[in-house]
Amino acid sequence: MPANQAALPTDILEQRSHRDARHERLFRWLLKGCALIVLAALLGAAGATLWGGREAFSTFGWHFLVSSAWDPGNDVYGALVPVYGTIATSFIALLIAVPVSFGIAVYLSEVAPTWLRTPVASAIELLAGIPSIIYGMWGLFVFAPFFANHIKPWLTNNLGNKPDDGKLSWVAEHVPFVGKLFGSDYPFGASILVAGIVLAIMIIPFISSVMREVFQTVPTRLKESAYALGSSTWEVSWDIVLPYTRSAVIGGIFLGLGRALGETMAVTFVLGNAMQLSASLLDPGTSIASTIANQFSEASGLQKSSLMALAFLLFVVTFIVLLIARLMLRQLARKEGR
Amino acid sequence: MTDSALATNPASAVATSAVAPKLTVRDLHFYYNGFHALKGINMDIPEKKVTAIIGPSGCGKSTLLRIFNRIYAIYPKLEAKGEVVLDGDNILDPSYSMNRLRSKVGMVFQKPVPFPMTIFENVAYGIRHHEKLSKSDMEARVEQALRSAALWDEVKDKLKQNALGLSGGQQQRLCIARAIALKPEVLLLDEPTSALDPIATGRIEQLVEELKSEFTIVIVTHNMQQAARCSDLTAFMYMGELIEFDQTEKIFTKPGKKQTEDYITGRFG
Amino acid sequence: MSSPYLRRRITNALAMVLSTLATLVGLAFLAWILWETLRQGISALDLKLFTKITAYGEDGGLANAMVGSLIINFIGIAIATPIGVLAGTWLAEYADRTKLGESIRFLNDILLSAPSIVMGLFVYTIIVLPTTVLTHGSTTFSGFAGGVALALIALPVIVRTTDEMLRLVPSTLREAALSLGVPQWKLTLQILIRAARSGIITGVLLALARISGETAPLLFTAFGNNYMAINPIEKMSSLPQIIYQYANDPGDSMHALAWAGAFVVTMFVLLLSLGSRLILSRTKVSHD
Repeated sequence: MPANQAALPTDILEQRSHRDARHERLFRWLLKGCALIVLAALLGAAGATLWGGREAFSTFGWHFLVSSAWDPGNDVYGALVPVYGTIATSFIALLIAVPVSFGIAVYLSEVAPTWLRTPVASAIELLAGIPSIIYGMWGLFVFAPFFANHIKPWLTNNLGNKPDDGKLSWVAEHVPFVGKLFGSDYPFGASILVAGIVLAIMIIPFISSVMREVFQTVPTRLKESAYALGSSTWEVSWDIVLPYTRSAVIGGIFLGLGRALGETMAVTFVLGNAMQLSASLLDPGTSIASTIANQFSEASGLQKSSLMALAFLLFVVTFIVLLIARLMLRQLARKEGR
Repeated sequence: MTDSALATNPASAVATSAVAPKLTVRDLHFYYNGFHALKGINMDIPEKKVTAIIGPSGCGKSTLLRIFNRIYAIYPKLEAKGEVVLDGDNILDPSYSMNRLRSKVGMVFQKPVPFPMTIFENVAYGIRHHEKLSKSDMEARVEQALRSAALWDEVKDKLKQNALGLSGGQQQRLCIARAIALKPEVLLLDEPTSALDPIATGRIEQLVEELKSEFTIVIVTHNMQQAARCSDLTAFMYMGELIEFDQTEKIFTKPGKKQTEDYITGRFG
Repeated sequence: MSSPYLRRRITNALAMVLSTLATLVGLAFLAWILWETLRQGISALDLKLFTKITAYGEDGGLANAMVGSLIINFIGIAIATPIGVLAGTWLAEYADRTKLGESIRFLNDILLSAPSIVMGLFVYTIIVLPTTVLTHGSTTFSGFAGGVALALIALPVIVRTTDEMLRLVPSTLREAALSLGVPQWKLTLQILIRAARSGIITGVLLALARISGETAPLLFTAFGNNYMAINPIEKMSSLPQIIYQYANDPGDSMHALAWAGAFVVTMFVLLLSLGSRLILSRTKVSHD
């Protein structure tokens, strides 16, 4: 094969180079444009809800944030009740989900026999794949009645200030707030507490899988040297693994919080859809997302605008929470040199 | 002629002056992230010979090779200064087009990297970008390349199969076929046998011997026996500098420099 | 035995028991939820689910919702896949380690868990509202709007997997192609995306699993329709939306239909995510 003969004329090569460069530029712009859609989606969602809520914001001003009124009859709206419901349910969810997720992560990375780790971890992750509406249905038809029949009576009688037989328990009498938190004469299961529990079940797989992943980044020699000093499994987890991964663990928790705040379907079914502010966790309530889901299709005018304003608040808050989560998670990735 | 002149004087042209240089390297410096990786390299690479570059890992031998087709340019923060002249033109000049450079200089890498497509397409892929050929011309061209790479007989019945199904040695010969299918003038081989077993290595070395009648070949290797076996000239590099560049026979029997001798006799590296 | 030692041992044993218990609790709830969905779903399974539409109420089926779900999901994936793959490609191949690239990669991770109901309202604002104005006031919910809302939810999943999968492709493949003089755009489209193909397909399947169960973004976009709708500019029903509607209905027979729908959706989603995991584990093995 006479190699040197085949060399193409230089001008053809130059022409082709120009063409290639043009295609390359076009391709780059196309790709960049697609990537910018991600940005546009976030900005657009914030912008659309802010624009939709402008009437509510301009009518009520800052009062919108602190007012507990939600009165379509008089066209007066405030965000306090749904905001309270959102925060209370998410807080309860974290209270339950964080220790349970930590337990699962410790079990899967330190305690369980090796052969059991992958199948159990996959099963837990399966929980994350179940659509949230299934959680909602299960909560509505299975868990809320179960709660109303078996757990709620015990709570109201032993902790609450409205027991069935009228006799206050020792706790309700002597410990402040607890009586109010668990006092309720609402007969059904749907409540802030049940919504919090269902949310907790929903976010456990998210938090535990993040925790498990970051626990696995702890260098083995670090753990081994602690074990060599006679540390127990628990001491290694609590004194070595957790401090080493602290920021990422917090990131994982915030990720779960972000999910909980914005979740619609899992809570709407079990929250009772009541526009009321009650100190009791056993009373029904509402959240931002479920208020929107329940009312938006039939709303108009100022009510619709108030719902949009609620959505804007929700979006901004979850954005901040998720931002913190990702920043915290990134710190560990940096440490890893990834 | 003193040893230092050999390494630093571009006019020295070593003992290769009988053959015209294909590639001339003049005062080449290379930096990455501020690290001075190549420090003033000068060498004349003769046409249609096999030039081997040896040296301990990190000496800059692969870096030098990767400048010869500017493949380094795909990564940010890398910078080459100096001249690499190919047939009278400086390829480091930004106006020297990539299409021109890469149709003249082919490269084969350490690990065989077949594209995720059929054996035929692997060879045809590069050609298609540079030339419009009819179906029969393309088939002839692919066959020719595969024959030159001594792979034809092994793959002629499975051209439509995925290239990932070939053995490591076959994959590497496919990569050589892919490179020579473009009819380059210079063929760069970056440790082409480091991922292969001895038998596959032997076949590649034999192939290099056959190909040198058509191509100017530059091969980087960490394997001194390989350099001794299949090259005409050998360059020894150390810490980013070209220590010695001469006829292979001379380098391995009567090296002019202490460092070269130490390396060849296995005292370091 | 010294007492601090004993205390440490007790603490450790207690912690081990609690962590095991936590795992068992997690698994128990998984089993409980799946069991109820299976039990109630299977007992409500009936041929009329697939043949009759929701307009017949308790005597009807879910045929229009199933068809609607298929159409809306298809629109969502058809929009999100090309955009997501190209955007992920940009992140991995063109913008790696650039400021804009890092920011978009970061924001994409946030979009991944942004509240889906807000995405529904966003699409309501940019598609449903303007078309409503065009048609002089009759609200124009549509299957297409629902598809766009789902696309926004699928998009970050696809962007992320594409980005990750392309970054797994060895750089030698890029060098090999570039050394042939092939320009980067050809290399990207014809070689890199092909090399990362199975991973990218997995991402698309995961995205499909994710959007198949989404309800909130459809409420104000596709809205719902008790009759069979094929044309995406019409209102369209979907399984999650019917589940939501029927579960809130006081009638028991409606609940049975809702469970049947829940069963179908859950099976679809779980099979998808299991299938995509299988593809992913297989490709990992074959790459090693």
